[in-house]
Amino acid sequence: MRNKLIQSENLCWLLDEHRPEVTVTPIIIKSSDKEKILLKDVNGRRRDGRNLEDIRPIFLKTGLISQANGSAYIELRQTKIACGVYGPRQTKVASFSGKGNLNCEIKFAPFSCLKRRQSYRDAQEKELSHLVFEALAPSIRLDLLPKSTIDVFISVLENDGTASCLAAAITCASVAVADAGIEMSDQVAACSASYIDGDIYMDSDLLEEQRETGSIVLSYMPSLNEVTHILQSGEVEISQTTQAIEQCTDACSKIYSVMNHSLLESVKDKMQ
Amino acid sequence: MGKVTNENNVKPNPTITFEAETFRRIQPEEYLRKFVQQHVRPDGRSYNHFRKTTVNLSCITTADGSSMVRIGNTTIVCGIKAEVSEPKLNFPKEGYLVPNIDLSPICSPRFKPGPPSEQAQIISENLNKLLKNPKVIDLETLCIEEGKAAWVLFADIVCVNYDGNIFDACVMALISALADVKLPKAVYEDGLVKATEEKIFALSFIRIPYSISFAMFDGKHLLADPNEMEESIIKSAITIAIDEAGQLCNIWKVGTSCTSEQLRFCISKARERYVDITSIIEKAKQAT
Repeated sequence: MRNKLIQSENLCWLLDEHRPEVTVTPIIIKSSDKEKILLKDVNGRRRDGRNLEDIRPIFLKTGLISQANGSAYIELRQTKIACGVYGPRQTKVASFSGKGNLNCEIKFAPFSCLKRRQSYRDAQEKELSHLVFEALAPSIRLDLLPKSTIDVFISVLENDGTASCLAAAITCASVAVADAGIEMSDQVAACSASYIDGDIYMDSDLLEEQRETGSIVLSYMPSLNEVTHILQSGEVEISQTTQAIEQCTDACSKIYSVMNHSLLESVKDKMQ
Repeated sequence: MGKVTNENNVKPNPTITFEAETFRRIQPEEYLRKFVQQHVRPDGRSYNHFRKTTVNLSCITTADGSSMVRIGNTTIVCGIKAEVSEPKLNFPKEGYLVPNIDLSPICSPRFKPGPPSEQAQIISENLNKLLKNPKVIDLETLCIEEGKAAWVLFADIVCVNYDGNIFDACVMALISALADVKLPKAVYEDGLVKATEEKIFALSFIRIPYSISFAMFDGKHLLADPNEMEESIIKSAITIAIDEAGQLCNIWKVGTSCTSEQLRFCISKARERYVDITSIIEKAKQAT
């Protein structure tokens, strides 16, 4: 019975003799209490020396996956994300579509989070994939690509805060799509922020995220001055949200210059 | 408007000429043969030349041990997560070591999303064989309490870029990540396993195997470290796994038959390459 159930879910490969059926993480005896770590000191500096409105330094490089049409790799200190774009290629389904299809898939490596993730796609990955799609779709000229599909695959190698991870994935995917030479109306830069004790922490990391009362992820096209996607959760005052949106758009403009720089570098490499 | 006339009056060429790229697409095997006849490979390497190899250790902080290996363009990340489970009834003192590779669609257009492909499962199984027989890690050191609790090491391998010779890269990543593993001190108390926050204890190796692969073209040319393009054309390959004493651990040979001289040649080349791999990994250890 059980085998049948598992087979029907296409998970039969998970059952084999080498691995135990149930595993747990051990209870960690904490020497330092995480609750006691201060998120900011008296001068308003955060644990890594940033001010509240600063984002982490970004490392962004294109063309790391030689097999893909376009690719990019982004690193925000601990957060590490690779993105590969395949297409535009022929849509496999028979029905005609006058617009191109955009297919985004985000995947967390099993070792990327504090707790080990299973290797099949879970609900969170499906949700995040959809959010990346929502944020990217308005920027890509899908109307120019009838009968075609663009596949955007994102692999999270290390996750240091899920909201900032989503923002980095959107930024990285946008650069990878541009690297694939697909026509876009503008690049999409994305930035996240956490609301903690009445303050707005820009580009929060995992520990900050664990203490947040709310969060926001904003995707923005700086040249067109248009927002493609906003996701806010938690209990927040309207005035604070307005301020957070403003701060996020500013941060996005900074991220945009990094994106442009890396694309310019990749063009220079290709010319040589 | 008049008729279109051939102004240059060019004679039609009796032999058809192609761009090299077109030739490669329609006659891949012949294309490779033309290179091999000149004792060179399409990417400019000689037969016995391995691609540039780099290793990065401890690159993933959420993992208990990790490494990133690049062989040419092939990029592999291996992260090891330690969890706890009950040992098997017939081996109450042993822990588990579970290697698993994910060939996700990000790394090459040949892979589709969904459950692991046949190739991924075969590689996982081969890695498992390499670790278990002959033994690489003493699984008894993973025991926390006999018959009650033991460490389970999930060695998950993610392929970021697929450009051939994936198995060698996987073995390098797996072995170097295992060497990078630091586990906390754990105790078993009334059905619960408690672990300290600091990680101190490293794994003890019985032997350190690495694998070295060759593609065999037309039954006589042995090409070391084949890339994706060569692998897609050549279906015969020899993979040799040897340990630090130069002893053979495993041999995988697929495709057409090979002579014993060829096998001996591969083994001697593999021994030379083994020395290079150890020095690359030693350098990486010093860098961290």
